[in-house]
Amino acid sequence: MIPLTSKVCVVGDFAVGKTSVIERFVTNQFSEKYLSTVGVKIDTKEIDFPERGVAHKLVIWDVAGSDKFGATEFAYLRGASGYMYVADGTRPATLIAVEQLHRQITDKFGPVPSVLLVNKRDLVADWEVSDSRFDKLASKFPRAYRTSAKTGDDVDRAFTRIAELVIDDELRGA
Amino acid sequence: MRLPDTVVSYLQDEFLSETRPFCLLIDRKYRPVDSWGDGGWCGLASIVPAADVREQMPFLVGIPIDAKQRLEFLEMPAGCVVNMHLLPDNDQCYVILLDASADHAAIQARQQSVNELRLMQSRQHRLIGRQRELISDLVEAKSELDHHRREAERISENKSRFIAMMSHEFRTPLASIINYAELAREAGSDSNHIQKSIETISRSARHLTSLVEAVLDDASLDAGEVELLECDFEIHALLSDMAAMMAPMAAEKGLSFATFVDPDMPKLIHADEVRLRQILINLLGNAVKFTHEGGVKLTATHNQGRLVVTVSDSGPGISIEDQERVFRAFERGGNRGETGAGLGLTITLRLVELMGGEVSLDSMPGEGCTVSVHLPVVASDDTTSPTVQVLPTPSDDTIASKALSILICDDDEDMIALIEHYLHRSGYGLITSANSSEAIEKVLKYDPDLVLMDCNVPGVGGVVAANVLRERGYTRPIVALTASKLSEKQKLAFTHFFRKPAPMQELLTVIKRLTH
Repeated sequence: MIPLTSKVCVVGDFAVGKTSVIERFVTNQFSEKYLSTVGVKIDTKEIDFPERGVAHKLVIWDVAGSDKFGATEFAYLRGASGYMYVADGTRPATLIAVEQLHRQITDKFGPVPSVLLVNKRDLVADWEVSDSRFDKLASKFPRAYRTSAKTGDDVDRAFTRIAELVIDDELRGA
Repeated sequence: MRLPDTVVSYLQDEFLSETRPFCLLIDRKYRPVDSWGDGGWCGLASIVPAADVREQMPFLVGIPIDAKQRLEFLEMPAGCVVNMHLLPDNDQCYVILLDASADHAAIQARQQSVNELRLMQSRQHRLIGRQRELISDLVEAKSELDHHRREAERISENKSRFIAMMSHEFRTPLASIINYAELAREAGSDSNHIQKSIETISRSARHLTSLVEAVLDDASLDAGEVELLECDFEIHALLSDMAAMMAPMAAEKGLSFATFVDPDMPKLIHADEVRLRQILINLLGNAVKFTHEGGVKLTATHNQGRLVVTVSDSGPGISIEDQERVFRAFERGGNRGETGAGLGLTITLRLVELMGGEVSLDSMPGEGCTVSVHLPVVASDDTTSPTVQVLPTPSDDTIASKALSILICDDDEDMIALIEHYLHRSGYGLITSANSSEAIEKVLKYDPDLVLMDCNVPGVGGVVAANVLRERGYTRPIVALTASKLSEKQKLAFTHFFRKPAPMQELLTVIKRLTH
């Protein structure tokens, strides 16, 4: 299989569960304890796509939570092949943060493959994102998911999808 | 000013011991050229020669190495945190990794506190929002409860007043009926005594019926079951009827009775005649009842689509305090000596409101009383005479002129005996049944010329029985004679409908009309 290595940045407001969805994807584990990320945390995981003949190694950059990026954060994003935007379904303000970050990143780096994750879908009683609100935001991304790092719902699908989108983008570029 | 060499050397040693620099020189293809320092602390103890360093240093993936740059706080998969500096040098680039774990830990602790505080504020805002919603729900629920409580209190008050009224108003005629019935049964009663007893019983029964009718009317209005049936009718005829009905009652009490009708009153108006008649009977009946000297006056005008009917009397009048009470159910203002259900004005007010009008009352103690009803009533353009139902005169049209049979289904033996008496006298042959299921079998077996059916009877019930008979081919008249209130749909099962107590003369007339 052809090896492919890509940098994917995971961005979003603080405490939306970026580190947790990565941990769920990379190690299939989850911790209830909140630990804020400072700077950037780097992990890797390989996904095989036998039907495409590609072994795709994702270098995942877990960027510290923010609702607006400055020069330091943009330095982290340089060279990214894909983005995962993460919001918290129990805090509607984090969806606004995602919209803002998406606008900033697109303005700076142009269109790059991306997916949207509205996380914490396990917190049903606290969920505050209506279907219409979700659909409206989702329309700005190639794919959108309601995920739960706690239960693992749709986390693998979201990472697999961004990996596929990056492959498609690389193939188009090649 | 240049720092002394000793200081420079000291600072250099401090920096090197704190940051443990590891420096790697790579070419444009990310292959290692040379290295300095020990990279063991950051998982890079040995660098594979001639291989792409991005295999061992994945954080370099995607990072351009042709520009000087600095990336702070990169946390490696191994757990160490580095500050990375990229320093291009011709076709090569120095990758310098400095240990930043200590600074990272300090900043992380601060950031953790800040973020937790922000999360707490966010939760607090959400809780406040929910609390507001709950308070709003509570206020709404309380308002609804208050409404229900007031309604329950009103119903309870009505019930109490109803019971109080029942205990007096119903007991009096009932006692009269019982006592006079006993008297009539006594041995030795002569025919005069018996005749007088029967008249008293009949009068008391009619009075009881009017009380029951008033209570039922009030209940129907309460339940919103009263529907207006509007038609064109002659208002002059209605007012004349009222005068003809009330003038003798007034004369009996030595009162004058006068009627004034606006000369511009249209001939035909469009309204619910039955309900308007009921309103006028209530108002005029009250005026005659409570007036002991002087007289009663009925005035009717029509102006700009509004009919105003005013009933004035020279009675004792109503105090301001009592004026509101007289419109409440089972209240009779200060006239406690008079009989009645205390529902007349309540029903009048509700009927007028149902018809979209208003009632006004003008009275002072000792100065009589004037009640005006204002109704939005349009004059009808139709100049044709209204339909008048002409019934045959009872005396001639109640006797059967041929051999006819009637099946009576009723579980009240007294009622069967009474109807039997009248029908026998009119020359009809009778079949009786106290059960509606049995009645179906008898009808199909004997094929009577008419069925007289109570609705609330044992078996399948009168309405179902009538429908079954129709389904099974019985085509002759089925007449309902029931104390139950039937819906319009239920009435469709019957050829004619009588509500108990039905006037016997009218019942016999209808039976003859349907069978001849």
